[in-house]
Amino acid sequence: MRISIRHQLSTTPPAGSPNAVLQLLLTPQSGPTQTVESWSVEMAGIGNAERFTDAYGNSVHLVNQRPPEGELVVTIEGVVTTVDRHGVFGRVGPGPVPALFKRVTPLTKAPVSLYGKFRGSKDSRIDVLHALMARVGEVLHSPAQVQSQSQDGQSQSQSQGGPTAAEGEEVAPELPRPPATDYAHAFIGAARALDIPARYITGYLVGDEDDPAAFHAWAEAYDEALGWVGFDAMLGLCPTDRHVRLAVGLDGLSAQPLRAVPAGDGPKEIGVSVEVVS
Amino acid sequence: MGDTTPFDEMHNADGSVREPYRALAQWLDEQPDKALTLMQSDAEAIFRKLGITFAVYGSEEGTEKVIPFDVIPRIISAMEWRKLSKGIEQRVRALNAFLYDIYHRQEILKAGRIPEKLILQNSAFCPEMMGLEPARGVYAHIIGTDIVRVGPDEFYVLEDNLRTPSGVSYMLEDREAMMQLAPDLFSRIKVAPVENYPENLRRTLESVAPAGVSGTPNIAVLTPGIYNSAYFEHSFLADQMGAQLCEGPDLFVDGGKVYMRTTTGPERVDVIYRRIDDDYIDPLTFRPDSMLGVPGLFNAYRAGNVTLVNAPGTGIADDKAVYTYVPEIIEFYLGEKALLNNVPTYNCVDEEERNWVLANIADLVVKEVHGSGGYGMMVGPTSTKAQHAEFKRKIEARPDNYIVQPTLALSTCPTYVNAGIAPRHVDLRPYVLMGEEVRITPGGLTRVALKKGSLVVNSSQGGGTKDTWVLED
Amino acid sequence: MLGRTAQNLFWLSRYVERAENMARLLEVGYRMSLTSRREGGASEHLVSMMRAAEVDEAFEATGRQADLDTVAHYMMFDPGNASSVYSCLLAARTNARSVRTAITIDMWESLNAGWLEFSQIKPRDVRGAKLLGLLSWVKQLSHEFRGALLGTILRDDGFAFSQAGNFVERADNTARILDVKYYVLLPRAKMVGGDLDIQQWTLILRAASAHRSYRHVYHDRYKAHNIADFLMLRPEMPRSLIFCARYIEETLDSLADIYGKREGCHEAATKLRAMVEGTNMETIFAHGLHEFLTEFIARNNAVSESLSASYNFY
Repeated sequence: MRISIRHQLSTTPPAGSPNAVLQLLLTPQSGPTQTVESWSVEMAGIGNAERFTDAYGNSVHLVNQRPPEGELVVTIEGVVTTVDRHGVFGRVGPGPVPALFKRVTPLTKAPVSLYGKFRGSKDSRIDVLHALMARVGEVLHSPAQVQSQSQDGQSQSQSQGGPTAAEGEEVAPELPRPPATDYAHAFIGAARALDIPARYITGYLVGDEDDPAAFHAWAEAYDEALGWVGFDAMLGLCPTDRHVRLAVGLDGLSAQPLRAVPAGDGPKEIGVSVEVVS
Repeated sequence: MGDTTPFDEMHNADGSVREPYRALAQWLDEQPDKALTLMQSDAEAIFRKLGITFAVYGSEEGTEKVIPFDVIPRIISAMEWRKLSKGIEQRVRALNAFLYDIYHRQEILKAGRIPEKLILQNSAFCPEMMGLEPARGVYAHIIGTDIVRVGPDEFYVLEDNLRTPSGVSYMLEDREAMMQLAPDLFSRIKVAPVENYPENLRRTLESVAPAGVSGTPNIAVLTPGIYNSAYFEHSFLADQMGAQLCEGPDLFVDGGKVYMRTTTGPERVDVIYRRIDDDYIDPLTFRPDSMLGVPGLFNAYRAGNVTLVNAPGTGIADDKAVYTYVPEIIEFYLGEKALLNNVPTYNCVDEEERNWVLANIADLVVKEVHGSGGYGMMVGPTSTKAQHAEFKRKIEARPDNYIVQPTLALSTCPTYVNAGIAPRHVDLRPYVLMGEEVRITPGGLTRVALKKGSLVVNSSQGGGTKDTWVLED
Repeated sequence: MLGRTAQNLFWLSRYVERAENMARLLEVGYRMSLTSRREGGASEHLVSMMRAAEVDEAFEATGRQADLDTVAHYMMFDPGNASSVYSCLLAARTNARSVRTAITIDMWESLNAGWLEFSQIKPRDVRGAKLLGLLSWVKQLSHEFRGALLGTILRDDGFAFSQAGNFVERADNTARILDVKYYVLLPRAKMVGGDLDIQQWTLILRAASAHRSYRHVYHDRYKAHNIADFLMLRPEMPRSLIFCARYIEETLDSLADIYGKREGCHEAATKLRAMVEGTNMETIFAHGLHEFLTEFIARNNAVSESLSASYNFY
């Protein structure tokens, strides 16, 4: 699938800041599931930016503006071709050892109710992960559970700048789904609790009648035989050619697409369009 | 472990003077009454004048204390020192190799020599450091190895201190004071110099400048500021090596490079000797609420435009839980047996060992895994029953949070106290620099527990310091 | 040099100078209140001295009655008063600690020892003669620091920033003393001052440590015209406006030499000096003394602000 993406975010440093420094994890890489045809990241000061590879293998921009003038808008445009590999990303890339992704972070603490019944399961790891994905979807879809999840402090998407349910997103009023980042964190936390390496993936989703196009998040878990395999608990499926992979991290914080100091009111999403082109 | 009578570094068991101390003993004998009392009060005046103070946490603002200084030097023979320094060098080389490995291919984990979980799940492990190539492959450039002695030939390493070890300014000022107080003693005894430390520090820092720096690298010392307890040391070292003493807001990142704000505009910085903890160096990568750090600094480091000394994430190598594996680490990377002993450590997570620990707590030392500075620890033999009970509860509640060791009979050195000269327990922190080569300053900082019988030498707990003399052949 | 270091050096000297000026103002207020003949006169003198120190409104806000004890405490020891001697010495020492490597040991020692001594004093014990003793001790401390500075510091950019701070503060202080009492300096039909005038004039001269040097310069009784002339336009008087303005300009010129570049602050310094150069009291009186002083204070502030912008203080 050939996909055209346009994404705009912004951040507004407080007035009087001498220097605004931004870290952008907004550059996808070609790999088993996708080929990046063209990609551009535009914002004031990008010409002077430093580019480097971070600890998780992401391509990062370090941009600054001195002094910043009002709102800083980042515009991403590009075309990516994807293939459907049933979620199997494999063992590619120089990234850190899978075992690192068993590390529990404050954002990935899952309640035992989520994973308890899988502990000691005799099923294969892949089967367990599929069952876990279903379980996470089921638990987070239910409004009562959503509430108790939030009270547990699990729902931290807003402040962590991960992809959130965009305003005006069409969801059935009786089922206000939590944002994608909550599903990803819940799945990752549960997998790690089961001693399975799991990592956080940000990316873009091609819309259909059920799910509108969005900046999205899902998880990848490690299987000895297959390598990294994607699990999108929100959609209840393994990533397809509708998913464009952007960045990898321990959690939504370390894979945050835009981090800025001084933060002001935090990053805002202006708009995202993800369209299939021929 | 040595028997219960502590080893006296000055006297043999029969009361005769040990060889390294012979000249000092004679000099002490020759001193008229009150001479030492005078020296002691002169010493205090010298330290106050030099402004060597440390802030005591929790005390009123503006209260700064002078660390008590003992006028009787501690002496280490040339032979003893050769042995010690070889052992220390071996350790810091192995620990640096270990750091490189665990932030890259992790062979030691793959080989199963250290449990994977102990490293990768450890809060002192810094995932952001993965895959980063520090200049010359060195992570810990400045190390202060804590060593205790229990016998004529028996030394133990207590802690490796690879984060931001402090106290080196005391080592230098103790020598400075001693040369002012007893110049005649130096004419009788040949003592290896420590004065080269600032120059060697500068050379070490220059040697790890990022590739592509032409000319003399620009060095900055990054301090949390004047309210930090070690601020004196930060300004002292900056001054002594001719580096700029900076606070976070003095530095900024522009185009992925680090600059300091000067009266004539931005000036590029190549090497930062940072005395700010990992978590606080960069709010963009680590704690977002840090006001002490420099936004973008870590990324500039990652991009290879600046060197941070020591590297972030070195704490994994001096983690108390990893400590037990240091002999293993030395064997794995250097293929050698460890020259210096580790203190045997009991693992409280193991039920059998824990039960033994709980039953024998009155004889043991308990340390919090992430504690430092003598806080969060208990020395069994000098603690009350209530304290024993308290730490038993703590260990039972969180066995992984404590390590337990036998109480070592730390060696004693003659020390000038109210009652005259009396033996007091001491430890030793030699300072190691690692850049293009390993440089160990002969001697180091001797800390002395001034309270009779006390084994806690930390300045925050009533400890003092002594000048430490390594004899030249 | 770090911009912050320059800033710290500038403020270090400013605070030491301010501590000295506070002590002097309090001393004058104290003396005058002792010899005042009128009812309520004591508090009036104290309040006008506080006005010269620009702390009168803040004092009023504390709700305390202005008497010798309350005013002395407020100007000496009150941490809530940013210009109290206590606050000035603390700020001076804090700035000095931050630039420990840029100042000499002698400078540090004089300040550090001074602060340690001052911080031991219990305000309750300082009354009457003891107060006067302490005030002269504060002045001594300032002299000692300045002496250490002049005797030991390298004549580089650091010296220039430190001197600029010292003289910007002093110019401000002299201008304010004059402005608080400007009405007693205005030319009047009656040429001979009455007792009240004499008292006010003495107060002005003392507040600028000028009551003795006045005689050396004018060999005359106190006259309003001379007093204004002395404190504003006499270049040999080290606290006069013209002395300070010339010195500030010279100091900033030396910075331009060191850095090889003129900045916005140089223009500001020239504008400041231009006010007091080539003029006389008649012209100034004709245009309005109060207006003149207000403008001078504003231009002096502009020097401080543009200095900070020119050399990256923050």
